[in-house]
Amino acid sequence: MNAALLDEFGVGDARERDESWRYSKTALRALSQQDFTRAEALSTLDAPLAARFDWPQTRGRRLVFINGSYSETHSDVGRIAAGVSVRHEDGQRLQLTLTGDSAEPVHLVYASVPGAAATRWQASADLDLRAGRANVIEQFVGAAGADMLGVLHSRITIAPGAELHLTTLSDLPDSVSQYRRVNTTVAHGGVCRFTDAIFGGRLQRADLNIGLDGEGARFESRGAFVLRGRQHADTHLDIRHAARDTICDVLWRGVADQRARGVFHGAITVAAGADGADARLSNKNLLLSAQAEIDTQPVLEIYADEVKAAHGATVGQLDETALFYLRSRGVPVDMARSLLIAGFCREAFAGVADGDVRVRLDALLAERLPHSQFDQEGVAG
Amino acid sequence: MLKIENLHVRVAGKEILKGLTLDVGAGEVHAIMGPNGAGKSTLGNVLAGREGYEITQGSVTYNGRNLLELEPEQRAAEGVFLAFQYPVEIPGVNNTYFLKAAMNAQRKHRGETELDSMQFLKLVREKLRVLHISDDLMNRAVNAGFSGGEKKRNEIFQMALLEPRLAILDETDSGLDIDAMKMVADGVNAMRSAERGFVVITHYQRLLDYIVPDFVHVMVDGRIVESGDKSLALKLEEHGYAWIAERRLAGAA
Repeated sequence: MNAALLDEFGVGDARERDESWRYSKTALRALSQQDFTRAEALSTLDAPLAARFDWPQTRGRRLVFINGSYSETHSDVGRIAAGVSVRHEDGQRLQLTLTGDSAEPVHLVYASVPGAAATRWQASADLDLRAGRANVIEQFVGAAGADMLGVLHSRITIAPGAELHLTTLSDLPDSVSQYRRVNTTVAHGGVCRFTDAIFGGRLQRADLNIGLDGEGARFESRGAFVLRGRQHADTHLDIRHAARDTICDVLWRGVADQRARGVFHGAITVAAGADGADARLSNKNLLLSAQAEIDTQPVLEIYADEVKAAHGATVGQLDETALFYLRSRGVPVDMARSLLIAGFCREAFAGVADGDVRVRLDALLAERLPHSQFDQEGVAG
Repeated sequence: MLKIENLHVRVAGKEILKGLTLDVGAGEVHAIMGPNGAGKSTLGNVLAGREGYEITQGSVTYNGRNLLELEPEQRAAEGVFLAFQYPVEIPGVNNTYFLKAAMNAQRKHRGETELDSMQFLKLVREKLRVLHISDDLMNRAVNAGFSGGEKKRNEIFQMALLEPRLAILDETDSGLDIDAMKMVADGVNAMRSAERGFVVITHYQRLLDYIVPDFVHVMVDGRIVESGDKSLALKLEEHGYAWIAERRLAGAA
């Protein structure tokens, strides 16, 4: 295989790289065989694409990157809070520093706009939460067309006692692939609540590395992927408990229909000396077709003495008894299926504190579900 | 209203119903009693249209139509309601939305106009008040985290809301304390009318002190072996199911 992308996205020695890409090797190989040239830095977007991130609630606090480059035209930073400082060196390296409480979210948008032939973009973001509480929304959108590959490297630093709510919403057309690496460190008493919603895409790989470096640091991860057609999503969580009394709580859901492929790898390591650590991981998946495939790998490595840990992973089908229950009350079969699938995913989104984002997630879920036949209020609860 | 004739049903290759015959007229309440494993729940599931039941012989006619050829949702729209022995927990699906969807799908099927949110909520409040159920039930996910009693109340509430013509209650009394059971019975009694039929499946006579049936049937090994009025339930209570078996043996000898 053309090793270029594996070298670029892989970490560790040859064996580790191979292992980490085990379930997505074919998809990566196909990408490696294509010649991606650098995507153009566009200044404007088509109205339908712009409409997808033009949320009234985040106007004045929105940073937009088109093909990895900062867009003056679409960004709107007029009402950004005093405690937030934004820099973007050479348009591609974002530095976001947050201090003090800012309840209003900062909305980061990464848009992929294809060219005539296959293109790729690359960007990086540093998110530095120095104190207080912050709410950040990260959104990935794309237009259909020639193949694209987007690459984003993020670094998140959470200071002692600070709390970050990060919601990532990635909804891509089948011609767009994406690689995200997020390296997060949480200092003592710090909290990171991360919700990740993944829809569509040709190959969406996310490597989420979290270091619970300070005593009492806490990481909560919620997420779901909803895939159909030949979409492929691969999420790797690598959580390291490096200090005493650190907590991680992971709850992910996956849904794959038709020939879609989903991968979830959740690794938790409790280092020697990280006594009192509490690690929980739950991953449940729904297969909606015989051709779909979901691979889930929970991995728990414990080197400390006093640790509470629980993990579980399942891959199953829609609950026939629940389906019958809904139908027996008069709900038509397609709608009953949609209700159940949405309810299944919604458990992962219930914790999103920002009401507006939660409503948008629900709406997107309803739209992207197989057999979608109902409006967004169906998943409220 | 409901006419079951010589019904034979297999589940996973095993014959469970072995020639069951039962007639339920409009306005009648029929109790079906019997020991565990007699096939009582199978009967309820077959009538509601659950998959996995193979009908090898016999027929079920409902208001002149072949009930067995209808999908579960069509049966519901035609007025058949099954209160589950074990109501299913569905996290993430809101009770109000689910019931509004169910009700409007039924109304659409019958050619009636669908209810808007205001009309629906007005109806919900009425029914909740009659049954003395708190409206916080409606804001929760379907049965998720409900106690056994709450689940059964929710079944009765759904029945009251959907106003079926044929209601089948599958061991709705099981696991209930006396107050919850009275509430269930009150819900059923309030709905008794000349147009509506009930099939009350129960293991114990106790429920029938509160829902007084017009007919009592004893089901053993996949068929009805004895039918009578409410006094049959009292005899069963006194002598146990062994009594029926002995009587059958004596009759055969």
